[in-house]
Amino acid sequence: MASFIIRQGRDIRIKGAAEKRVVDAVSPETAALVMEDLRGITPKVLLAPGAMVKAGTPVVMDKNHEEIKVVAPVSGRIVSVNRGEKRVLTTIVIQADGRQDAEQFPKFDRGELAGLSRGKITGQLLAGGLWPCLRQRPFSKIADPRVTPKSIFIHAMNTEPLAADIDLVLDGRQADLQAGLDIIRKLTDGKTHLCIDAKARSSALTRAKGVEIQRFSGAHPAGNVSTHIHCVDPVNKGEIVWYVEVQDVLRIATLFLQGVHSAERVIAVTGEGVKNRVYFRTIAGVPVSVLLQGSDLQGQRCISGSILTGRNVGKDGFLGFYDSQVTVLPEGGKRELLGWMAPGLNKYTFTNTYLSSFFPRQENTLDTDTHGSHRAIVWTSLYDDYVPLDLITFFLVRAIIVGDIEEMISLGILECDEEDFALCSFACPSKTDVGGYIRQGLDLVEAEG
Amino acid sequence: MEWVKKILQVSGAPFQKKGPLEKLYPLYEAIDTFVLTPGKVTRKAPHVRDSVDLKRMMVFVIIALIPATLMGIYNTGYQMLLAQRLAPDLWTCVSLGAGKVLPIIAVSYAVGGFWEVLFAVVRKHEINEGLLVTGLLFPLVLPPTIPLWMVAVGISFGVVMGKEVFGGTGFNVFNPALLARACVFFAYPSQMSGAKVWVAVDGYTHATPLGVVSQAAHGVDPVQALATAGYTFQNLFWGLRPGSIGETSTFACLLGLAFLLITRVANWKIVVSCVAGVFTMATIFALFNGPDQPAYFALPVYWHYVLGGFAFGAVFMATDPVSAPATRLGAWIYGFMIGVITVIVRVANPAYPEGVMLSILFMNVFASSIDYGVMMSHISSRNKRNKALSSSRTK
Repeated sequence: MASFIIRQGRDIRIKGAAEKRVVDAVSPETAALVMEDLRGITPKVLLAPGAMVKAGTPVVMDKNHEEIKVVAPVSGRIVSVNRGEKRVLTTIVIQADGRQDAEQFPKFDRGELAGLSRGKITGQLLAGGLWPCLRQRPFSKIADPRVTPKSIFIHAMNTEPLAADIDLVLDGRQADLQAGLDIIRKLTDGKTHLCIDAKARSSALTRAKGVEIQRFSGAHPAGNVSTHIHCVDPVNKGEIVWYVEVQDVLRIATLFLQGVHSAERVIAVTGEGVKNRVYFRTIAGVPVSVLLQGSDLQGQRCISGSILTGRNVGKDGFLGFYDSQVTVLPEGGKRELLGWMAPGLNKYTFTNTYLSSFFPRQENTLDTDTHGSHRAIVWTSLYDDYVPLDLITFFLVRAIIVGDIEEMISLGILECDEEDFALCSFACPSKTDVGGYIRQGLDLVEAEG
Repeated sequence: MEWVKKILQVSGAPFQKKGPLEKLYPLYEAIDTFVLTPGKVTRKAPHVRDSVDLKRMMVFVIIALIPATLMGIYNTGYQMLLAQRLAPDLWTCVSLGAGKVLPIIAVSYAVGGFWEVLFAVVRKHEINEGLLVTGLLFPLVLPPTIPLWMVAVGISFGVVMGKEVFGGTGFNVFNPALLARACVFFAYPSQMSGAKVWVAVDGYTHATPLGVVSQAAHGVDPVQALATAGYTFQNLFWGLRPGSIGETSTFACLLGLAFLLITRVANWKIVVSCVAGVFTMATIFALFNGPDQPAYFALPVYWHYVLGGFAFGAVFMATDPVSAPATRLGAWIYGFMIGVITVIVRVANPAYPEGVMLSILFMNVFASSIDYGVMMSHISSRNKRNKALSSSRTK
């Protein structure tokens, strides 16, 4: 066990946290497989619209690793297979029949879990459709089942704005979490690290056994996977680590203990514009409209995830595959007269260039306005204040812009994910999309191998 | 509000794609976003952005320059009246000074703005607000007697050769305002140096404090020499002395610095390390002081801070983030070396009594090398750390 204090970064203090109470959501009429979230697989759709599925029936297969399956979260009928630009698969929508029939997989007793072999665990995860919950670094893509990672990280801390409180999510799930951890740690010969907030109270986390408990404190991005890996067991060239969201550990436990595929998930519904800001117990792929019932969404953006890293899904969209939060954010776009001269008591900023900096509030109203137009990068030393990884961000971005792969790698791009630079993009006065460059660099490195 | 939006919309139509004035779109964009905030929204994550933009930051540098500009205007008039042995009252000083200084600023902005717009249009990039700062910095480091056409030549060189040939703001190696000054300094030395140019009264010669110290005979106490010439520490600090328009008042520069540091627009590391560099090098020279050495050796360290353009250079020129290193360690080295070289040029080189401009330009050249060195040591420490961690794990 170790403790890490993260000094870089900063929390965005935005209004609209969810009340700490978990409510069962009504079971949705539709649910979707959000394929855009599943990075690293080449999907082949196995079933056509109209086909009947049970919860756990394979719907999509990876062309490169045919054993990796993406399965239906609910029982019902496939109604549409949607594609976006360049025919990239975006969502597969299933009409739920409400019967909740489920495919049956082998079931194990709690005592048996310790004796399961790595091969058996891998087989069950692949068949039960939970393999995509395992992701790898570098490249933040779905893990390769033929690889043994040097260590596994359980992501049980989240510092993103208004993120779900993991203590609440894990309330009463101590035994399930432990079962899931016992399964997952078999997948590596190295250690399994449970990364938690130094202030975490849940005994499910603090008393977890068989894993290394790593405590982190500090502002965002102290809770990012990259930060955890970087502090505990950094990725060198040629090495691979895996990571799993803590809620997916619970789903894995269910798959082994009950023999069924579970898509269950507790979601924090956040944002000032939401009427009913609570935690919902629901499933991955639920339509956000189910969670936002009763809220006036006129002029609001519906985001699956947080304001820093989530995806704009629109009010008819679906909860992402890995997300545990929905945020509603007011759309900006109002033009203000001589805005550069405004005293700005209400303008939120990390700098001290508006009056608001000298009268800070605990909770602020933010919107989607860019507050300026794109310019060349001028403030070159700014980014490193927001990146806890040992990086020189500006040079990394520069290496990416010129496409120098060798330099990108030696400057540490393999440790990064675009989400780690969301604060840089937020703070940049030149309105540079730093995270976008990082993603571009990662794609380039991955493609050139 | 609404009517402003309407005017912009109507007048903006010809500048849009396929409009007759499409090529001038950057100019329209600059004016449009100057009057009203752009009102654009984010497309993807992160969905929120900080309220600050480059316009605001650059405007804040301008605000920080206001004390130095006002002091420069006042002092220009004050020196004129003093030279003619007239009583210097506030309003005469200001009006006389304004008559000299404002045209210089106007020419700098007009000509610099012309080039910026021309390049933005031809190269299809945004008009960068950095010009607002360059256009004011340059006049403030000129003597008040400079002919206006020379201002035009200088700013043209600074903007075109200092910035646009590299690809515009953000890509420049040199601080454009300083490069502009270096251009006129070397091209027209008689209008830029000597004892005649610092007071805007024809035929009046008055040595600057820097000139007094550098020309004092060996072994003479430099403070005594300054006092004989009428310069005390106080009037150097407040700025009532001949010199470049905006650089004379250390006090005005400190006001600007305070503003830049409170708003966190300037990098304090560079300013602090500049001061430390001057201290170190001046102390070293003082250690080698002897009767055969130039008087400059004996100048107490704190005088260096109020002489010449040090305060102005350290606060407004060295802190330009584009021509300074991007790394933290680099910023410390850069500022320190500016301080050191400033003192070396002042003390050890009798040809140039002032070294701030040259030392900053010199370090501009080395900024990327410093960064490169920092980057290489970063890479090698990364490699070492990763190796160490891997081996400790396998044990």
